Amino acid sequence: MSLEYSIVYRAENHYDSWITDAHWQFLIIPEENDTQTHIKIDFKNSVHAINEHSVNGYGFNTIRVQPREKFKDISFEAKFSLVKKKVNPFDFADEFSREQAFKKVQELEFKVDFEPFLRTTHFTAIPSNHDKIFSFNESKSIFENLQDLNQWVFNHIYYTTNVTDVNTTLIEIISNRHGVCQDFAHLFCALAKQNGIPARYVSGYLHQGNGYFGDSQMHAWTEAYVPGIGWLGFDPTNNLIASDNHIKVSHGKDYNDCSPLKGVVYASGKNKTKHSVQVVAQQQQ
Amino acid sequence: MTKIKNQIFSSYLRNPSLYDEIYDNDGNVKEVYKKLFDLYGEHSIEDYASLNVKARSSFFNQGITFQVYSKKKSQEKIFPFDLFPRIIDPKEWDFIERGAIQRSKALNLFLWDIYHEKKIIKQGLIPMELISSSGNYLHQMMGVDPPGDIYNHISGIDIIKHNDGNYYVLEDNIRCPSGVSYVICNRTALKRALFGVFNHYQTHTVTDYAENLLELLETTKPHGVDIPVSVVITPGMYNSAYYEHSYLAKTMGVELVEGRDLFVENDFVYMKTIRGPQKVDIIYRRIDDLFIDPLEFKPDSTLGVPGLFAAYKKGNVTIANAPGTGVADDKAVYTYLPEIIRYYLDEEPILNNVHTYHCNRPDELKYVLDNIQRLVIKPVDEAGGYGISIGNRLTKKEIEKVKKQVKSDPRRYVAQPIMSLSVHPTYIAENESFEQRHVDLRVFTVLGKDKEFVLKGGLTRVALKKGNLIVNSSQGGGSKDTWVLKK
Repeated sequence: MSLEYSIVYRAENHYDSWITDAHWQFLIIPEENDTQTHIKIDFKNSVHAINEHSVNGYGFNTIRVQPREKFKDISFEAKFSLVKKKVNPFDFADEFSREQAFKKVQELEFKVDFEPFLRTTHFTAIPSNHDKIFSFNESKSIFENLQDLNQWVFNHIYYTTNVTDVNTTLIEIISNRHGVCQDFAHLFCALAKQNGIPARYVSGYLHQGNGYFGDSQMHAWTEAYVPGIGWLGFDPTNNLIASDNHIKVSHGKDYNDCSPLKGVVYASGKNKTKHSVQVVAQQQQ
Repeated sequence: MTKIKNQIFSSYLRNPSLYDEIYDNDGNVKEVYKKLFDLYGEHSIEDYASLNVKARSSFFNQGITFQVYSKKKSQEKIFPFDLFPRIIDPKEWDFIERGAIQRSKALNLFLWDIYHEKKIIKQGLIPMELISSSGNYLHQMMGVDPPGDIYNHISGIDIIKHNDGNYYVLEDNIRCPSGVSYVICNRTALKRALFGVFNHYQTHTVTDYAENLLELLETTKPHGVDIPVSVVITPGMYNSAYYEHSYLAKTMGVELVEGRDLFVENDFVYMKTIRGPQKVDIIYRRIDDLFIDPLEFKPDSTLGVPGLFAAYKKGNVTIANAPGTGVADDKAVYTYLPEIIRYYLDEEPILNNVHTYHCNRPDELKYVLDNIQRLVIKPVDEAGGYGISIGNRLTKKEIEKVKKQVKSDPRRYVAQPIMSLSVHPTYIAENESFEQRHVDLRVFTVLGKDKEFVLKGGLTRVALKKGNLIVNSSQGGGSKDTWVLKK
């Protein structure tokens, strides 16, 4: 069984002064993987600039736009349609016993291979006075611990928009206990890593038909690596295992590696930006 | 102190506890310097005073200047040139050259490994911390094969001679090392001032650097390119080494560009010219990693080229040195160089390393804190001599401050015994005499695909302040022409 998704991503920018030199890079194309297959990608901009498809430093597909004419307003619209396979997120084969898995994550070779997703980053640094806020229980499996962590993060932070922004770090999140999906994802990653489990930030789209949290923007969740199983998706904002409602775009160490829109605009004066995302699903046979 | 008998060296005070490059322990002039010593003796000290003035103004008129950064303001200065050259005999040079190539090659293999399989870490020979805590380790370079398999095309290796008469490496600079233009300018200036002395020696030329650099860079051209187009990219005229950037471009016969002169289209790099876009294949960049592409790294940087990294990753352009090379230009990595050489080359290191204490190891941190007066404390990630503290030159108050700094971030600091840099007669204008001053030597190597080059005659830097051990130009150092004699 699978679902067919139509996703529309829109961004509108308004500048008070004329812009003659600008570059944008969009990291918004759904990844193609075991469960996601593209049907169509359509990308438009309002200034008739060429849309160049490229790949970023982490291997994810991007679209770059460099307008050749001056403008004050520019808008972008991306439409994706894709097929998402329905899978049971609990249906995985576990090759390792609980003890084996905990032993594996202690091995040097494992730590070296997963170094990018074990290192502390700007957004996943736990303040030292909150050192042991969530410790794994070795009498449970790593997967069960991660489920507990997912729930713990879900309970710790109150989903609140407009109180945090893309620069908010965990110092503020942990003490103020409110934030959006990005903050949930950073806290989850930080605590998984602190317990020796590789974790990565995931950016993508959430199908909200089921009333999940995540506004009409791109969504963020996480993936953690469980030895013997592989990368598993956790959505701490909704206390869910990532499923067929989660359409992945990219992953990285934290938000910095995944920001959906990077722009270099040589502008003076003020500017306004608006983004919106729409996800529509259709059942397929 | 021993007084020397020679007209111009009449007031030369030789401190026997220091290693003098031209006198042996008994106070005799060494063989290679004898002729030079006699020839210099034919001139009076007044001649040197006037030659010195001429040499200085010639540097200023040619615009051979650099900027000194400080908190308050930056200043444009000339790099003081000393009239008394340093001579290195062929045997000694051969040793330095082999040692320099060995280090560069080992570092190149190390970089390949840590951006691919990371075998050296998995085998426990160097700690993972070393790369995972380094801000210069670029994950974007994981699995990338740089054109020609070369990361550190260009290196500048800083070598000193200790008072035991042996050479020691202080640093391997592989993040855009500067100074090579001064080597060539010093030679020009010396020949102009004292050709009658220079032509008595069979000295290797230094003017072939640019042609060798270009030739070797071209061996690492992107796949499928026939005749590559190269450029030098500079942060601009306010950069401290702008003179060098323009000099290199000029002598290589390539364009000097800034970020805004280039653009990327469909993952190829082009230069804007009056005849339309010109595809660029090789970029010798004098811009730090995080500034080369605002779409991939620092978004607020205006120095780089949007999209450049994607073009690089596709293999459509060579960047020298490769992005991410800086991780191996780290004083903590330096300390593992002997292991790195043995591991990748299966050879013993030719050049010595200075023993280094890692402050991130608790026992070594304790030693460093207890013996700070006998050590040099260096931040691992600063260049240009910034942030260095020399233990025996610190006041009690300063010692406490340094200790506090080290304790607050041990990973950032290493410590080394205070090395006694060799001294060399140097003309000191304010005293109108030749005096002993500490010197080091920066050796420039270039790695190409299956080919390497070492410039025969490095940059001898001299600390002009009496007793000063830091020779960096940004810290008030000067330089000397360095003669590598032919066999």
